[in-house]
Order: sequence, then C-alpha cells, then structure tokens
Amino acid sequence: MVALACGLGLVVDAWIHPPNISMVFLAAVLYSAIRHGLRPSLFASLLSTLLYNVLFLEPRYSLTIDDPSNVVALVFLLIVAILTSDLTGRLKREAAAAKVHAEANAALYEFSGKIAGIGRLDDLVWAAAHQLATMLEAQVVILLPAADKLRIACGYPPEDRLSAADHESATQAWIEGRATGIDTAFADGVRWLFVPMKSDRGPVGAIGLSRSRGDDAGPVFSPADRRLIDALADQTAVAIERIELAREMETARLAAETERLRVALLGAISHDFRTPLASIIGSASSLRSLWDRFDAETRTALLDTIREESERLNRFVGNVLEMTKLEAGRLTVNLGPTDLADVISTTMAEMARGMVQHKVELAAPPDLPLANLDPLLCRQIFVNLLDNAAKFAPAESKICVRLRADGDKIVVDIVDEGPGIPAEHLGGIFDRFFRVGSGDRRRAGTGLGLAICRGFVEAMGGTIAARNRVDRPGAVFTVTFPAASVRTPRMME
Amino acid sequence: MAPHAPRILVVDDEPAIRRFLNSALTADGYSVTQAEDGRTALAAIQRDKPDLLIIDLGLPDLDGQDLIREVRGASDVPIIILSVRDDEAGKVSALDNGADDYVVKPFGVDELLARVRAALRHRIQQQGHDPIIRCGHLEIDLARRLVRCRGDSLKLSKKEFDLLRTLAEHAGKVVTHQQLLVRVWGEAHRHDNEYLRVYVRQLRAKIEADPHQPAYLLTEPGVGYRLKFDD
Repeated sequence: MVALACGLGLVVDAWIHPPNISMVFLAAVLYSAIRHGLRPSLFASLLSTLLYNVLFLEPRYSLTIDDPSNVVALVFLLIVAILTSDLTGRLKREAAAAKVHAEANAALYEFSGKIAGIGRLDDLVWAAAHQLATMLEAQVVILLPAADKLRIACGYPPEDRLSAADHESATQAWIEGRATGIDTAFADGVRWLFVPMKSDRGPVGAIGLSRSRGDDAGPVFSPADRRLIDALADQTAVAIERIELAREMETARLAAETERLRVALLGAISHDFRTPLASIIGSASSLRSLWDRFDAETRTALLDTIREESERLNRFVGNVLEMTKLEAGRLTVNLGPTDLADVISTTMAEMARGMVQHKVELAAPPDLPLANLDPLLCRQIFVNLLDNAAKFAPAESKICVRLRADGDKIVVDIVDEGPGIPAEHLGGIFDRFFRVGSGDRRRAGTGLGLAICRGFVEAMGGTIAARNRVDRPGAVFTVTFPAASVRTPRMME
Repeated sequence: MAPHAPRILVVDDEPAIRRFLNSALTADGYSVTQAEDGRTALAAIQRDKPDLLIIDLGLPDLDGQDLIREVRGASDVPIIILSVRDDEAGKVSALDNGADDYVVKPFGVDELLARVRAALRHRIQQQGHDPIIRCGHLEIDLARRLVRCRGDSLKLSKKEFDLLRTLAEHAGKVVTHQQLLVRVWGEAHRHDNEYLRVYVRQLRAKIEADPHQPAYLLTEPGVGYRLKFDD
C-alpha cells in the first residue's frame, strides 16, 4: 500500500509540491489502519515517513533533509500517521465489540423469547438446556432442588448423573450463589462449570456447563461466554420462578376449591342428612311412646316413613361417597354392551316404593341397540334422575322415561310434569351443590345428585342436558350414551 | 284445661316430618292442621286460630324468622321452633323475635310433646296466675318469695331468687341469656353473661343434689337456661 502511495507520489510529483504528497502517504496509512489494524498501520506510518523523506524531500534519495521546514513536515507526517492509526484501530475494535454485544443481546432475546411461553417446568428446563448447549457449544445440565437436595432436572445432551465432586460443586454454587467448578477457584476434581440461578426470592438452582479444553491455556469459557452464561442463568431463573409461582397459585386455588367442597359437603351433611334422620327418629320415637294410642294404619304409615327416609338417607350417603370418588378421580368404569331399557326398568322397580305418588312409565323400541355402559354407574344415574323428578313433580303426575336410538347414540328422555326449571338455572343445574333455592329454604337433597349424573355420564362418554317442556310446564332431562359397537348376535351368524 | 282439644298448626316443608308430627300430636290428644310453607301457614292461622304453632325455621318460601315476626305482630300464640344444631344464632334470634321455645332436629317425640305441654301450660298459667310453681322437689312461692327444696326452705339472695323466679315463670321452657340478664339485672347488663355463670353456679349449689349434674337448672348451650318441669 505504501509502495502504491509511493508510485502515485512519483506520478503526481510533476504537478504538485512535495509537502502535499505527504497526504497521499497519509491516505495509505489510514487505509491500512482500517483494513489491517494498529500494528500494520504503525508500520505503514514509519515506512511512509522514511520513503517520503528519501524520495520526495530535497536532497532526494538520501535520509538527510536540507530545508528545516521539511523536517517539521516530516515529523508531523509521522505524528498524524500514528494518531490516525491509533484512532482508526480503536474505532474498529469498538465496532467489533459492539457486534459481539449485539449478537449476545440477540441471543438473549431469542432465548427469553423461546422460554417465555413455556408453562411446564419440564419443558422449560429442557428448552433452556438445549438453548444453552447450542449457544455455547457445550454440554449442559440444569439442577433444581427437590426436598432440599439438588437433582438433575435436565441434561443436554441427556445426562442424568454427576460425580460426587461435581454434585457437591453444584450444591455449593446453588447455596452460596456463586460460580464453582472449572475456571473458578473451586475447581478441585470438577469437570463442570456451575453457575447459580438466583431470583429475588432466593436460590433457584444451578446450571452446569462443560466443554473440552481448547489448545491454549486460557479459560474453558471466555469472559464473554461467562457473561452470556450469567445472563442466561438469570433468565432461566426468572422463568423457573414464574412457573413455580403459577404452580403455587394453582395449588392455592385447588386448596381453596377443596375447602369450598369440604364446607359445602359439611353443609349438605348437617342440613340434608338431618332431615331424613329427623323423620326417622321422630317416627320411631312416636311409635315407641304412643304405640297404644296409634291405630294399626298409623303404625304402618310411621314404619313406612322410617323405611323410606332410611332409603333416602342411604341414597344421600351413596351420593356423597360417589362424589368423593369422582373428585378423587378414583371412579372405576367397567364399560360393556348393556341393555339400557333393562337397567332402567330394574332401577324403576327398585325405586317403586319411594315413588308410589307418581306414575312412572318406560317406553323403549323393541329393537333398541345395546349401549356401551357400566350398568352400576348407569343405575346410579337413573336413581338420581328419577329421584329428582319425583322431588319436584307433584303427586299423581306422570314421569315418562323414553328411549330411542339416534345414529350411533342411545338417547334417554326423562320427562316430568313438575314446575320445570327456572331459565336462569338451566346452565348451573349440573354443578355440584347447586340447588334451586338457597340457604335453608331448599328442597332436601345434597345438591350432588345431578352433579354425579353428569360425572358418571361423562365418564362413560355420554352427554346430559336439561331443558323445559314446550307443550306444558315440566322438565326434560336428556341423556345420550354411545351405542355399543359390538356385533349383535345376528351379525355374528 | 282449655274447653277444646288444643289446636296445633305444624309448619314444615318435609312431608315425612309433618306425617309423624301429625300422628304423634293427634295420638296425644291435639287437633292438628298442617302447612307446607309460610304463606299457607299465615292463611291457616287466620282461619283456624291455632293454640300453638310448630314452625320449621327452613321454609321454602318465607324465612322462618319473618314468619315468627309476622305472627307475633298479631297474636301471642305460643310458637315452638324446629331448628338444627349448630344454629345457635338462629335459635336465639327466633326466641328474640318472639318464639317460645325450640326443639333441635332430629328430636324424639317425647321431647317435643314435653315442649308443647310446657308452652301450652305457660299460656294457661299466664291466664290463671298460679302463685306456687312446683318442679320436682322444688317448690317456689312467687308471692311470698319462698323456695323449698325437698321440704326444707332455702335461703336465696335477692338476685338468686329473681333468677330462679324468672326461670320458674317459664318452667319447662328455654329462657335466653339476654332475657334473664334484662329481667334480673336490668337493660344495662344485657351482655354481662359472666353474671349469669356465677349466679347459676350458686343457685345450682343450693337447689341441685349434685351441682355438677344438674337435674333442674339445665344449660342450653349457646342459648340460655331451662328449668326442667315434670308434669
């Protein structure tokens, strides 16, 4: 480059004064500073000064200088050339640093973007480990505390054990909140660099990184790597904390829900279990105390009351137990091809004594396909639905149970002649502890019957809905079940 | 005795409860009518003029408390409340609203019949002003301010006597803490329950054979006291 400047200088020498030719050399120095950095440009500065002196300053082709003003010019050329080299070099270094910085920021941004939307802890640590491993070209483990001990939550590439020394080192990083392992003062026998994950609420865990040592004796992870690692560890800690907070909130919500259920259950027991009990105890004690004063008919009526109310109480207890099973997810469903008409007519026969005040009818086509059902759960559903109809429909009214096939479904309508369901309650009628009316002024019942119906129906893949009759006051409960996809005996022939 | 069989109106929305109450009360010599909700009850009161009401606090249409207030606004017919345990506040406000007594569901029919007799007797007493109340071994002469226990006359302080008299005037029926405090100590001491605790203990020491297992002066937890009355 200086040679080029030199040639150019010789060419233009004819037209311009020698002092101006120094500008050509300066351009050469500037260019080499931009292109090649500080050292080459310093070298160019010295070379330019020398050549300028030898080639263009009188006497030419010697290092001596006649004109003192030319000495000054030469010295300034040297100074300006060196300063320019330095300035340009610094600019270039800063640009390079800015580029690295921007890349790191972009990487962090990408990282936080990737882990921001993750809602499950397992997914998050996996994504974080994967990102760290990719960005740092290192092996990564993420350790989180479980029962006061650090455990490997995730490794990328998959890794599920650490040596005792490594584990101890990780624990130290986690508890003391500083980096341990390779590249640190706490490196004895440790293959990994462990950095702590910390949040405002305290230590979150530790991240371990490992890669093979390069040829030079420098650190395995450069200071730039370490800055990136620290930033990524912070972001991971924040993301983990976010998920843990969400989980705590969910736990609190569940606890509140359980508490609500418990309170409602206690309420149901204290109010609704006592109602049949009051009838039973009252009737029994009446018989005991006033036996002689009762006629035979009254005695029979009181004994019937005792039995009916005991059966009602038994249904309540059954419902509470079933609800508890549903709540705990411990419901066992034994699906099998079942004749729904048979199940319902058996249930109706069982309940006949308690429903003497109503006319209950069953209508089913003779060729009704089998449904895929658990007959025991099914029985419970219709006990509750019939009980519900009998509770609201007036004495002597008709309760119709109609079955039909509809495509691959079996549909059951239970139609009563009661007052129907207030429109505003149609949506909530299958909710737990829902009852038309509130406080103490409601019909006896645990408020569980219909909720259990829905739970059971859905457990068997069916649907349940309630609506009001259009032709007259009354409610219609519609239950659908999937038809059994088994071959009927005729098809097997 | 009243010239006719006392008429009792049973107000409860549970048919099974009405059924056995009807049987038991009829067998015990009362004339029984039934109502399944507050509105029917108010109509029946107008029509039948019952001598006693048995009202369930949990009715489908009207709050039992409102029904009591409404009845009390027009008459002093004795009212017995059917309530559930754990609802001491409901019992107290029912009594404050003018109910005479309560029975906790579930209850034995003997307990209810005893309450019914106590409520009806109190009414007769109010009309007849019987000056001497006999209660097992206890004999209380209201006019002469004398108390005898198993024949021996007892020395009671003025407040002790006032307390016993208040309970005896309502013999067999519950009297709330506040009713006792206002009657014996005055309106200013309406909430000084500790007075009652002390005086009830003193009174029990004098009238009970075993003060730790009282046979006469019974505690109604969270509500008040009752002087047991055997008839």
